[in-house]
Amino acid sequence: MTEPAIRVIHATKIFPTPFRRRRIVALQDLNLEIAPGEIYGLLGPNGSGKSTTLKIILGLIGPTRGSVRIFGRDNSSVAVRRDIGFLPENAYFHKFLTGAETLRFHAKLSGLPRRQTKSRVAELLATVGLARAADARLGTYSKGMLQRIGLAQALIHYPKILVLDEPTAAVDPAGSRDIQNLIVSLKKRGTTILLSSHLLTQVQEVCDRVGILHRGKLLREGHLEDLLAIENQTELIVENATPDLLHRLEREIAAANARVVARRKPQTSLEQLFLKVTETGDE
Amino acid sequence: MSSSLGRIGAIARTTFIELARLRVFYVLVLFALVLIISSSFLARISFQQELQVTKDIGLGAINFFLSMLAIVATAQLLPRDLEDRVIYSVLAKPVRRFEYMLGKFFGVLGLLIISLVAMSILCLAVIHLREGAAVRETMQQLAQSPSEELDHALVGVHQAGANRDLVLALLLTLTKAAVLISLTLCISSFATSNIFTITAMAMVYLVGHLESIARDFWLHQRAAGWLVRAFLAAVAFFFPDLQAFNLSDQIIAGGSLSNLMLLKLLGLGVIYIVGYLVIAIAIFSRREL
Amino acid sequence: MKPVLALILILAAFVPLKLKMEAACDRIGPGALSIDLREQIGQAAFIAVLGGFRSVIADLLFIDAYSGWERTDWTYLLLRLRQATELQPRAILFWEMAGWHMAWNAGTAALEDDSKSPAARRRLQHDYLELGEDFLVRGIAHNPEKPQLYEALARLYRDKFHDHARAAENFEKASRLPGHASYDERFSAYELSYCEGREREAYDRLLTLYQRGENQRLPRLLNQLRAMEERLKIPANERVIP
Repeated sequence: MTEPAIRVIHATKIFPTPFRRRRIVALQDLNLEIAPGEIYGLLGPNGSGKSTTLKIILGLIGPTRGSVRIFGRDNSSVAVRRDIGFLPENAYFHKFLTGAETLRFHAKLSGLPRRQTKSRVAELLATVGLARAADARLGTYSKGMLQRIGLAQALIHYPKILVLDEPTAAVDPAGSRDIQNLIVSLKKRGTTILLSSHLLTQVQEVCDRVGILHRGKLLREGHLEDLLAIENQTELIVENATPDLLHRLEREIAAANARVVARRKPQTSLEQLFLKVTETGDE
Repeated sequence: MSSSLGRIGAIARTTFIELARLRVFYVLVLFALVLIISSSFLARISFQQELQVTKDIGLGAINFFLSMLAIVATAQLLPRDLEDRVIYSVLAKPVRRFEYMLGKFFGVLGLLIISLVAMSILCLAVIHLREGAAVRETMQQLAQSPSEELDHALVGVHQAGANRDLVLALLLTLTKAAVLISLTLCISSFATSNIFTITAMAMVYLVGHLESIARDFWLHQRAAGWLVRAFLAAVAFFFPDLQAFNLSDQIIAGGSLSNLMLLKLLGLGVIYIVGYLVIAIAIFSRREL
Repeated sequence: MKPVLALILILAAFVPLKLKMEAACDRIGPGALSIDLREQIGQAAFIAVLGGFRSVIADLLFIDAYSGWERTDWTYLLLRLRQATELQPRAILFWEMAGWHMAWNAGTAALEDDSKSPAARRRLQHDYLELGEDFLVRGIAHNPEKPQLYEALARLYRDKFHDHARAAENFEKASRLPGHASYDERFSAYELSYCEGREREAYDRLLTLYQRGENQRLPRLLNQLRAMEERLKIPANERVIP
C-alpha cells in the first residue's frame, strides 16, 4: 500500500494569548490523508483553521499535539520540503527583483542544480505566460501577474506536492481558467495538490476530494460526487424533447410513485458565457 | 554543506540588494560624507589640531553612521518579510531557519563593508590632503631652522597623519557594527515591530558603552545593595562592551595597536557575533510565523 | 529540547566566555568619567561621550577654550582645558597647550594686571604657573612614553620657575624616549651647567656630546664647554676648546 502524500495525525494547534486570557484553539484533533496524485480541496469560512492547517503541513508552525508526515517522513525535517511547492495567499515577493531573478532565487533556495536553472526558469515563465515580463521588476506587476509568478516559484523545483492557498484570488476569469488547466495537467503528471479556496465552483471543478473545516474541526470530508450527490434524486437532461414526450415521462414517473421535483431549462454558468463572449470578441 | 552555503549566499544577496535600494542608505552615506568634509573646515579654527580634529570627526562620523546603518538596516528585515509574507515562500523551501538568519546577517554586513570603504576612502583622502597642507605649512615655518629640527617636525606631522593604525581603527569599527547587526537580529527574532527593535537597540548602544564600567563595579564593588549588583550583573552578562572597539581615541592620540591586542579584540567581536547569532537563531527557530 | 532550557544552555556557554574575553581585552583606557563633567558639559555632550564620541567632544571643548583665551577669560579657559584633558587624556597637544596657556598667557596677564597690587600679581602669576605645571605633570602621568610633555615641563622650569635642576632632569628624561627632540640632551647639559655643585657632571655630559661629532658642536655647546672648562679649571692640555 502506497504511503499517503500528506498525512496529518491528530493535529491540534492552540495559540497562547498573552496575559492568560482564553487560549485560541485553531485546530482540534485534525486527521487528514491525501493520496499521491490527488487534488484535495480544503474549504472553510474565515477563521476555520485552513491557514493553520497549511502552515502545519508546510512546517512553518508546529502543532501543539500530533504530527504530519510527507510521504511517510516526519515534516519537521527541512529536507522534506524539497518535495513541496507552496503558493501563499496574497503573497508578495521581493519587489526589487525581476520575474526571472525571483525564479532564480527560489531555484537556488530549492536546491535546483545550477545547470538546470536557466532552462527551468524560461520554461516556467512561458508556462505561466510571463515570458515577456521576465525582466520587469515585480513591483510593476499586477496582482494577477504576481499570482502567476508565485505559481511559477512553487513549481520551480519539480515538487511532488503543491500547496496552493487561494491560487486564483485576484485573477481574472481567463487567468483563473489557465491556472485551473495547469492544475489539471499537473495532476495528470502525478503531482499531489492541496488547494485552499473560497471559490467553491472552482473547487468543484478540479478537486477529487474536499474537506470542510469549521472552528478547527473537519466536519465533512470525501469525494465530491459522494458529498454532493442528493441520494434519492436523479438528474436527467434531455435534448430536443417535445412537450408531449415530457408529459408522458411525467405520467410514468407518477405511476411509479416517484415525484418530479423540478422541471427547468439547464443554464450555462456566467463564467462560461463570459469566456465564450470574450473569445468570440477576440476573433 | 555547499547547498547550505548557496542558500545563505542567495538570501544574503537579495538582502543586500533590498537594502542597497533603500533611499535611507544613500541619505546616511551622504550625511556621513558631508560630516567628514566639514571636519576639514572645523579644523581650520585650530591650526595646530588640523589632523587630530579631521581624524576625530572623520572616524567619529564613520563610527556613528556605520552603527546606525547596522541597526536601522537590520531592524526592518524580519518585520518587512513577515508583513509582506515573503518569509512564507522562502521558509516553505528547504531553507533552515539558521540559513535564513545567516543570510540576513551577511547581506547587511556586505552593505556595511561597502559603506565603510566609501566613507574611509573619503576620510583618508581628506586626512591626506590636510597632512599635505600641514607639511607645507611646517616647511614654511621652519624654513630657517636647522634641518634636524625640520625633520623632527615633519616626522611628527606624518605620525599624526594616516597610518596603519587608522586602518585598524576602521576594522574595529566594522567589527563593532557587525556585533550590532547580530544583536539587532537577536532582538528582532522575537520583537513584533521595527520601532521596538530600534528603540531597544538605542538603549543597548548606550548601555553597551558603559558595560565595562558596570562590569568593573559588579566585580570589585561589594558595598552596593543586592538589587544594584543584580542589575550590574545583568548588564555585564548580556550587553557587549562596545567601548572596547572605540580605540580610535588612543590611535588618534598616537598610541599604537599591537597585533596581540588587535587579535584579542577581533576575537571578542567574533564571540559576540557568534553568541548573539546563536541566540537569535535559537529564538527564531521556535517562532511561529 | 524545551526552548527555555536550550536558551539557558546557550547563555551558560556564552556568558563566561564573554566575560573572560572582555577581561583579556581590558586595557588602560581613558578612565571613568566624573559626575561633575556631566554637569559641566551638559546632557547632550555627555550622551555623546557615552555614545563613543569622546574624542570629538574633547576636540570641540578644546576649540571652545580658544574663545576663552581670546576674551582673556582665564577661568573659562581653565575649565575647558580641564574638561578636554579629562575626556581625552591621550592627546598630548591638550596637555601641552594647557600648560602653555596657564604658565605663559594667564601667568603673564596676571603679572601685568594693573588693578592689583604687585604682591597680589606675583602671587596670582605663581598660582597660574603651578596650574601649568600641574597640567604637564598629569599629562606625563597619562602619557609617560611621550617626550613632548617632558620637554614642555623642562621649558616651564627653565623659563618660568628658573629651576635649572628640574629643567635638566626633564630634558634628560625626554632624551631617553623615542621621538624626542634632537636638542634634549644638549639642553639638559646646559641646564645642569647652571646648577650649583653639578658643574663636573655638566662638563662630562657636554664633553660626551662634543665627542659625538660635528653635528653636536653647535656654537652654544662650544661656548658652554669653554665656560665649564674655565669654571672647573681644567688644565690647558686637557681642554678640548682652545
